[in-house]
Amino acid sequence: MKYILEIIGLSKTFAQSKTAVINIIDLKIKTGDILAIVGESGSGKTTLARLIAGLETQDYGTIILNDTTIACDTIFKAPENRNIGMVFQDYALFPHLTVSENVGYGLSKKANKLERIAAVLERVGLHGFDNRFPFQLSGGQQQRVALARALAPEPELLILDEPFSNLDTNLKIKLRNDIFDILKQTNVTALFVTHDTQDAIAIADEIIVLKEGGIIQKGAPKKVYKCPNSSYVASLFGALVPLQQEDLFCFGFKPEAHKRYALRIEDFKINEAADYVLKAQVLKCQFAGQGFLNTAVLPNKSIVNMTTRSKIEGFFTLGFKNNDLLVFS
Amino acid sequence: MKYLKHFRRNINKWSIFTVVLVLLIGIPIITIFLKIFLGPGESWLHIIENVLLDYTLNSIFLIFGCTVITVLFGVSSAWIVSRYTIPFQKQLEWMLILPLAIPSYITAYAYAGFFDYGGTLELMLKAIGIIGVKFNITNIFGLIFILGVSLFPYVYVSARSVFLYQSARLIEASKMLGVGEQKTFFKIVLPIARPGIVGGLLLVLMEVLNDYGAAQYYGVSTFTTGIFRSWFALEEPATAIYLSAILLIVVFAIIGIERWQRGSKNYAIANKSDIELSKIEVSKKRRFVLFLIVCIPVISGFLLPLFQLVYWSVLTASNVVSIAFFKIAFQSFGVAFLTAFLTVFLALLILYFPKWNRLQWLRKSSRIAILGYAIPGAIIAIGVMIPTLQFDKWMISFFKNNFEIAIGLIINGTIIVLIYAYIIRFLAVAFNPIEAAQSKIGKTLIESSNLLGRTNLITFVKIDFPLLKTALLSAFILVFVDVMKELPLTLILKPYNINTLAVKAYEYASDELIMEAALPSLCIILTGVLPIILLNKLILNGNKK
Repeated sequence: MKYILEIIGLSKTFAQSKTAVINIIDLKIKTGDILAIVGESGSGKTTLARLIAGLETQDYGTIILNDTTIACDTIFKAPENRNIGMVFQDYALFPHLTVSENVGYGLSKKANKLERIAAVLERVGLHGFDNRFPFQLSGGQQQRVALARALAPEPELLILDEPFSNLDTNLKIKLRNDIFDILKQTNVTALFVTHDTQDAIAIADEIIVLKEGGIIQKGAPKKVYKCPNSSYVASLFGALVPLQQEDLFCFGFKPEAHKRYALRIEDFKINEAADYVLKAQVLKCQFAGQGFLNTAVLPNKSIVNMTTRSKIEGFFTLGFKNNDLLVFS
Repeated sequence: MKYLKHFRRNINKWSIFTVVLVLLIGIPIITIFLKIFLGPGESWLHIIENVLLDYTLNSIFLIFGCTVITVLFGVSSAWIVSRYTIPFQKQLEWMLILPLAIPSYITAYAYAGFFDYGGTLELMLKAIGIIGVKFNITNIFGLIFILGVSLFPYVYVSARSVFLYQSARLIEASKMLGVGEQKTFFKIVLPIARPGIVGGLLLVLMEVLNDYGAAQYYGVSTFTTGIFRSWFALEEPATAIYLSAILLIVVFAIIGIERWQRGSKNYAIANKSDIELSKIEVSKKRRFVLFLIVCIPVISGFLLPLFQLVYWSVLTASNVVSIAFFKIAFQSFGVAFLTAFLTVFLALLILYFPKWNRLQWLRKSSRIAILGYAIPGAIIAIGVMIPTLQFDKWMISFFKNNFEIAIGLIINGTIIVLIYAYIIRFLAVAFNPIEAAQSKIGKTLIESSNLLGRTNLITFVKIDFPLLKTALLSAFILVFVDVMKELPLTLILKPYNINTLAVKAYEYASDELIMEAALPSLCIILTGVLPIILLNKLILNGNKK
């Protein structure tokens, strides 16, 4: 197995704050993989990306890119010598340069520079936009230019820092899919920083979850989603409904002491087959666009929230499946 | 061990360039401080016993008086033009900045002539039959008035930008809560604007302490005139340096107070919004009253002195205009042009070298290089003279010992020392607009360029420079105008074969040829007015963006 990036014991503390922003991180990325870094804001995702890019200097630790040490206690390779590409949240397109000048910016004076620009623009679907200026483009087009510009010099690693946060939902899903295809076809190893776990699940091969500058879980998207190892990780991937021990007894489930349980808000089964069921009463049913947000009361007077496809009223059968139950120690 | 390793990892050529640059600019100021330990000259005792109290009291009185006048004029006019619709609104908005185009010593000459025995006022009164009314303005009260009306625009500019762009939403919120205009002003607007107003006031006080020409002409002894007297009349550099050091401490104390008040109350920045304040409609009569209030500082700070100078210029043009006069004007422009160019260049270096260096502490400490604007010109002149003389002495003995060649002073008495001192004094003037514009470029643009394989220098040429052109131009103009106006530093350091319009005006005034001083003064004002109008537009556009 070949790793393009290897990080050993990376730490960083900013002068202003006392606690470490990045706290002893070890990490490896396989060649050709898309790795997503998720975490709430302030968890150190962006700092980690910036350390890898060489835009910050680390306090401790080593970063190895393609078998070359690019940062350690005695070595610091400047960003311009690292061959790492980056797409910024604000795209950072040079406002005074045209699309093709932007894309060609990182290419040295080679004979095939123009061909390369044309090919990359073709690849991101911006053929014919060569002479436009960034301000003449829509948000999605600017995003594509930023991607084309980062891909043009064929970086060994591409970092995408919150690339979709400035786009509306429809455009985002389309662009997300396009970027996934482009990354896979060009076989670029990518590091994808996002606070939106939906984006991470959609395109990543592997996800790492950061909290307070440390990695608290990593694995394939499906695994992290299905088996979060803490309520922090679980809540990043959607709203959680905590279930108390007595709630679970009402369902006929025997909880272990000293463990905490929760269900995703959409994982309740309403009037359908489930492993554990009880009779609950609806207190409130609100229309919530795609479905309904319900507040119901359990036999032990506990209040729980759940989402449903259709409207429910009065008493109903509430249940859940064993393997949907999230357990945290 | 770790720190040493990191130091070795992070240090790069830019770190070294930064240190060299900061030292080059910082040496004169450091010299002044070091010289304190060598003790004062012989007449120091005399100064302490006879004049030090005068210097101190006069300087304090000037500071307080000018604070009152500039805040009164600056805040009231800023509030009126940003909150009310008055006749000639647009014109008044930029005319309120124009007093800055007239150096305060020139305003002082103009007023002296206006109120003088047989002066313009007396002639005018005589024409309408009033005889025997006399005003004596050449005293400390006159000086306070002169400095107040010529420096209030600093307060006006900063207050106006706060009123227009920071408090709009808060004023609206206050009104929605049913609070009246007057209470809103005192409870909301003024507290929010206070850091900005004090920031403007700081510039005023720096100029007050820097002033030599006006105080000298009005016969008021201040620290700055004291420095000149010790240097030229008593020929005691050590005493001049001692006075300089005391003044420096005062200056740093004022800066410290400003920092402290801003640090504890920097909430104004958080409220910056794009909403522009809507105007209050008032009756015609009230509008006219407001118009008159705004006219007072415009007339007293700009129109009246200008009128006086134009009048004198017409009277004396035939005496003053000569080949020699054109030569002086040409030399003035040349020196200002060269200085402005070099200052902008150095400001770029002092902005970028620390950024490109990776040592955090060096980035922060490099900012001391722009302290020069706070330091009175006379002090900088002395601070520059000492190390450059030392340099020349070294060179002389070096050539004598090694080559047995006797050489004279190499850089002293040349334009090099003068421009060096100008650069130290005006570096901040160029640095601030460039830094502000640079921070708007956005860090990610620069980082993108780096990540695309471009070095810092190439990034600067291809990305920063094209985007900074306007800021560089305005920085250039600001320094150019300031050099044209500069007097105390120029008086001390200018070479014998070079003269400037400012020095010429001063010489005429000192030789009791005050009417002849008008024409060189007008030339200075003209070169100042046009750029100020341009800059006002740039600032407004910048704020709107």
